[in-house]
Amino acid sequence: MSQAIAEFRQSQALTLGVELELQLLSVRDLDLTRGATDLLGSMDYDGRFGEIKLEITESMIEVSTLPRTLVDGIAADLVGLRQTLVKQCARNHIAVCGGGTHPFHRWSERRICPGDRFAEIYQRYGYLAKQFTVFGQHIHVGCASGDDAIWLTQALAPYMPIFIALSASSPFVDGEDTLFQSARLNAVSAFPLSGQCPALRDWAEFIEHFSFLQSCGIARSIKDLYWDIRPKPEFGTVEIRVCDTPLTVERAAALAALAQGLVRHLLRTRPALNTQQHLHVARYNKFQACRYGLDARISHPIGLRQVSLRQIAGELLVVLAEDASELGCSAWLELLDASLAVEISDANWLRRRQAVHGNLNDVVREAATRFGRAERMPLAETFR
Amino acid sequence: MINDMLSPARVAWEDLQERLFFLPPFPEALDSLALFSMLLIVGLLFGEWLRARLGWPKVIGYVLAGTLFGPSVLGWISIEALAQTRPIADAALGLLMLEIGRRLDLRWLSQHRDLLRAALAEITLSFTAIFLFAWGVVGLIPAWAAAAAAVTMASAPAVVLLIVEEANAQGQVTERVIMHTALSAAASFVVFAVVVGVVHAEYSDDWLSLVVHPLWVVVGALIIARLMVLLALLAASRLPKRSLAQIVILVATALLAVGIARTLAVPVFLTLFLMGAILSFSDRERTLSYTNLPEGHWLLAIILFVVVGASLPWQDFAWLTGLQALGLLLVRAVAKVAALAWAGGGLASARRVLVGIGIQPLSATAVFMAYEIAGLYPEIGRSSLSLPLFAAAIMELTGPALCRFALVRAGETAATDSRKRGVA
Repeated sequence: MSQAIAEFRQSQALTLGVELELQLLSVRDLDLTRGATDLLGSMDYDGRFGEIKLEITESMIEVSTLPRTLVDGIAADLVGLRQTLVKQCARNHIAVCGGGTHPFHRWSERRICPGDRFAEIYQRYGYLAKQFTVFGQHIHVGCASGDDAIWLTQALAPYMPIFIALSASSPFVDGEDTLFQSARLNAVSAFPLSGQCPALRDWAEFIEHFSFLQSCGIARSIKDLYWDIRPKPEFGTVEIRVCDTPLTVERAAALAALAQGLVRHLLRTRPALNTQQHLHVARYNKFQACRYGLDARISHPIGLRQVSLRQIAGELLVVLAEDASELGCSAWLELLDASLAVEISDANWLRRRQAVHGNLNDVVREAATRFGRAERMPLAETFR
Repeated sequence: MINDMLSPARVAWEDLQERLFFLPPFPEALDSLALFSMLLIVGLLFGEWLRARLGWPKVIGYVLAGTLFGPSVLGWISIEALAQTRPIADAALGLLMLEIGRRLDLRWLSQHRDLLRAALAEITLSFTAIFLFAWGVVGLIPAWAAAAAAVTMASAPAVVLLIVEEANAQGQVTERVIMHTALSAAASFVVFAVVVGVVHAEYSDDWLSLVVHPLWVVVGALIIARLMVLLALLAASRLPKRSLAQIVILVATALLAVGIARTLAVPVFLTLFLMGAILSFSDRERTLSYTNLPEGHWLLAIILFVVVGASLPWQDFAWLTGLQALGLLLVRAVAKVAALAWAGGGLASARRVLVGIGIQPLSATAVFMAYEIAGLYPEIGRSSLSLPLFAAAIMELTGPALCRFALVRAGETAATDSRKRGVA
């Protein structure tokens, strides 16, 4: 049944929220296991750091922070959610882990979670629903109006390769090195309404476009839009959906800082968008970022040339310095800047560990250990 | 009966032998390999048929096949033939015990006190309830009542593993069923060793044997298990993890342990269980943690359950003993479910009851343990142990169904099309 789009709920501009889809693993062999409904059923958690909920298959669990003004608040929520999950998972004899794909699970063994919505998705998409056992980070940024949210879906689009490359943590699929830095997005792109948001000017035009999709029977609710960036009217946010779940919550917080700084910069400077030109190269640039990560060369549709993704990511971080300083998240962007220089992306880390161990079980075991322990966090004093 | 059917063939054969010099003497017994193959085919067909037609666990079919063709009913599998297949049954049971031992994660237990409390409650209550029933109600002397309790207190690791694999079950009820099965098996082995000493004390003045035999059983099994783990890890550490070569090392060391245990008259199931548990605990580098037993070991499991089915003493069946066995099973079931319902282990109450139902199977290890004690005192042992043997016989057929029921009701089994699945 088709659902009308909710009124855009006005929210405080630049507030943040982060969703992470996480892997539930068997402690014995580190393969994905059925555990989500049991985990939630046995959990005594008061929601102080945000929500913990089911995702499409039983081997996934989704955490989402509370809306926060500061990145430090997001980081504190993510740490709290991580500790809650790690503790409860240990009681249930399972482990929890980050990363965009599980390196060696077999999708056919996945089980759909109970619930009408999940059953309906499975009926609709068949095996794609099971293959959708991939793990992403979604970043919500608060918008003062629906018009701002739609403008931002267009304005943020050219920067998506940077988010993809900085979050890439899915080099292995089906036990094989895919040669991609982020293979996760290949699973997403099989869905009919995935990809880029079309060129839309404002909220009214988005409503018109969505009504058209509903009339044609293509989409029933806004959840059917698997766009890279989409408005979320119930939350009053624009949602960036291209990131792999990183291996650590600290990196997830740093990516949220990049989103917040970039949105502030865009809203402050309101650059000309050239949406049509960017749409022409968007799929190519996304592929390049997935395949090569920061080593990609992407197309610049205005300058009519190719540019190094690492170089433009570095330049962006410099441009955002002032906004980050105003938002109090400079230290988080420095974490990302450091990773540009020393090649310590999550995808590369996974490959290096595979080279050391010669098997993927030990790689997942180390990744789960790494997810569970605190890494260096540039928190402000109030959150220490 | 078989001899009567074969006598015309024997006469014809012997006539031919006079004219055809190359003919061997008329075969009096089936070649071991042929017997092995026939048990495999018959068990497999029964199991598959029951699974496809009635949705029953395949293991019930294997046991029924053994019962039907064994000495108790048709007699096509003779007692001598059963003795021939015992090494294969030992190897199959050994590999399954190794696997359940490998799944015993003591670290989980140490982090989860509720689970430890539930395990202790289940073990204590099961033994006490069965002992009191056998002693107070059935009227066995304390030593044999203790033997009956030691043999029947534990769940059946081999059955539970087969059902979990067959149903592709994953989840908290499954994890706990496996954990409680492994722990109760461990407790049962320890109590069994002590009971062997008690039985000695009851029937013999040989105090040296009284002390040394349980030690021989436990310490012997421990030493063999530890040595085999060291050997397995030493050899496997030089090979790629999860490689075929590692699988060969794992199976070969397990079979070596079976062979040494048989040679030294140490219980195979105890030795292999300890080997699995020590491997799970001491393999810090995870050398063999990801290496699974080959699919082929389920073929051996078919033989095991056909042999167990054929070993069940239905020919000695008496209504009174049958009723007493039912009473024992009822007391045992109540003790297990009540212990888990009370102690919990971090689950909702309905799921605790499902764990209690899931650990009801009673099987191959119990039968072999009973025969092991009976073997020490052939005149006295067999009759005194008919109670646990009949309990095992009844549960051999109902236990797998109960275990499967619990896992299905818990929603932890995969929705599978049985026609597409292979053995077990």
